[in-house]
Amino acid sequence: MKFKINRDHFANGLAQVLNVVGSKATMPILSNVLIEAEKDQISLTTTNLDLGIRCKIKAEVKETGSVTLPVKRLAGIVRELPNVDVTFDGSPNHQVKLTSGGSTFRIMGIGKEEFPPLPEFGDEKAYALEQAELVMMLKSVAYAQSSDETRYILNGVYFNFKDGKLSLVATDGRRLALIAKEMDVPAASAGAIILPAKTVGELTRLLDKGEKVKINFNERRAAFQIATDKDTSGLIDHVYLYSKVVEGNYPNYHQVIPKETHQRIKLERELFLQCVHRAALVCSEKSNSVKVKLTSNLLEITAQSPDFGEAHESMAIGYSGPDLQVAFNPAFIMDPLRALTKDEVFFEVKDEVSPGVFKTLENFVCVIMPVRLS
Amino acid sequence: MSPLPTIVHLDADAFFVSCELALKPELRGTKCAVGGRERGIISSASYEARACGVYTPMPTQRALKVCPDLIMLPHTSGLYSKVSHQMFDLCETLTPLVQRNSIDEGYLDLGPCGFADSPEIEARVRGLQHRLAAELQIPVSFGIATNKLVSQIASKLRKPRGFVVVPPGTEAAFLAPLAIGKLPGIGAKTEAALNARGLSLIGEIAGKTERELEALFGRSWREMRATARGEDERAVHTEREDAKSYSQQETFFEDVAEFAAIERVAKRMVDELLPKVREDKKRVRTMTVKVRYPDFTQETHGRSLAHATDLEAPFYPLVAPLLREAWTKKRPLRLVSVRFSNVEDGGQQLEMFAATDEKRRRLAGVLDQLNKGGRNAVVQHGHQLDAKKE
Repeated sequence: MKFKINRDHFANGLAQVLNVVGSKATMPILSNVLIEAEKDQISLTTTNLDLGIRCKIKAEVKETGSVTLPVKRLAGIVRELPNVDVTFDGSPNHQVKLTSGGSTFRIMGIGKEEFPPLPEFGDEKAYALEQAELVMMLKSVAYAQSSDETRYILNGVYFNFKDGKLSLVATDGRRLALIAKEMDVPAASAGAIILPAKTVGELTRLLDKGEKVKINFNERRAAFQIATDKDTSGLIDHVYLYSKVVEGNYPNYHQVIPKETHQRIKLERELFLQCVHRAALVCSEKSNSVKVKLTSNLLEITAQSPDFGEAHESMAIGYSGPDLQVAFNPAFIMDPLRALTKDEVFFEVKDEVSPGVFKTLENFVCVIMPVRLS
Repeated sequence: MSPLPTIVHLDADAFFVSCELALKPELRGTKCAVGGRERGIISSASYEARACGVYTPMPTQRALKVCPDLIMLPHTSGLYSKVSHQMFDLCETLTPLVQRNSIDEGYLDLGPCGFADSPEIEARVRGLQHRLAAELQIPVSFGIATNKLVSQIASKLRKPRGFVVVPPGTEAAFLAPLAIGKLPGIGAKTEAALNARGLSLIGEIAGKTERELEALFGRSWREMRATARGEDERAVHTEREDAKSYSQQETFFEDVAEFAAIERVAKRMVDELLPKVREDKKRVRTMTVKVRYPDFTQETHGRSLAHATDLEAPFYPLVAPLLREAWTKKRPLRLVSVRFSNVEDGGQQLEMFAATDEKRRRLAGVLDQLNKGGRNAVVQHGHQLDAKKE
């Protein structure tokens, strides 16, 4: 195999597939990237068996062929090459000669035969979404995923295509974020998957390269075809991301979303975020909560830790309900406020042991459980 | 005005035995000890028994060998903490500043009591010593000095019924002729090592150069020199420190080889410890299981939950795995213990899908009420049923 390629395009392509490879690959071949040279393009593929990514880059292919090379070191080398023109010359014994300006590298590879192929999809359930919209939806809920491995069912984002809408849900058992979008869901294509946290991270990173993203899934795996029509750094066609899904039953999240509205206040998102952020500066690992106190047209936020001190913040709001006070983990308040982009959010509270609820006008809900102070 | 010796250390003499003798005066003057029979250890021995070579903690079997006519008294549940309370209550009639170090030992600060001079302080403390003996029949040794360090060494100097006053300004002279092992932090091994290097009395520290001291004590030589001079700035703390862990252990009557039986004992300990955690309004995160073999070698294994809890249920699934991890040798066990640490208090993060936890907590609250009063639970978990049959 032999091709000429733009250094920056090559580096960009490798950067797309790099994250999949963990530092502790179980088989040596999983540390490698599969490079396949076809007509006018090369494709780069990595996989850790749970998650795989493939992208295509334009190249001047003189001789088709394939080889696998250690991706981390290769990416490191390509980034540093002195000249923008790079020649890639593979030999039958899987050795690769990389030339750029006055630099020459000879790299030992492994044959393609050992590389596990990414499963291709047939007649699974399929949907097309806007990339910008999906990334917004993912960012709106992803922070609420659990990282507690004993609750592996919660280690991902739940995609639910049902009743004429797509709902994305994430929860760690102490807070829950949900965002929904109306779309055409044919009865035969209704279904749900739990997309693992690592895949969610990669997907979010990849979703800015074009207009559309296609999703295919069945009960064991999902695949995303991410169009690259807006990309200017050599990517062509689409990026293909394959992932196993978390198998199991997602908890019934409807039951934890309060049906009734109690005290609702409208808040300036940025201002509220800043107040909570400042108050939380006095929190410690042992006393990690801020108190939110509502009185007539006033919202106060206080925090204290016994060995450091205390903080008090106040902001004017429109409120005429009863006085009430409730404590929360400050991160639970800040995470949704950071993820949202609207200037105003609604916050609903009831009493010191009932959940607080963030809402926007765009089908977004984030339920956060309070901290009960003794 | 020169400083007054206002810091008092009190140390009950052979406390458990004294508590028992208060109930069984006919045993006074005999060689007796409180401890586990057969396979247990001596937790407290009368001074007559100590004269025969019985010490604590000594395995009961060995104690009976060195002192065949030793009268063994079993532990009386609840007695010692009751007497301890009465003892410290009497102390509080003298000063409100009482620091309880353990069940039978503590400090008093008479500073704010406004006593005129040393003789008045002595007279008041003597009065307390007499009251403790007369009302509770508990002999207590006292040390009186200007600080905790010296008063503590003084109280242990002439046990039982000791009463040692160290006048202000004589601290260094008081300590000088004492063996170096009397200082806190100098154990038997360190003492032997220091003796071997020519240091046996506290007073000899004063004669050493800074260099020599550094060679002997390393980085902490300055503290050691201050200690040898009888200097100590620590204040008497009246607040009881919060528990850092909750633990329980059981030495078996006979070595036990059956896994299910040990698992049952460990689960019972979980059932007995968590009510205490709830009573203190705390939560615990880490559970550690310790096993001890007949030759006294032991192994421990621990695991933490993702979040602290005050319920038994999250710990039950850990009992068997931890036991298997700790109990690696194919030999029966002499002892098993369960310990809960990583104690948390303060605000409790509420859970969403926790309807079961709330039910469990309500149930636990009811059980705690019914079982109030310790080990003889009125209502038990099903996993204890087999133990009843045996």
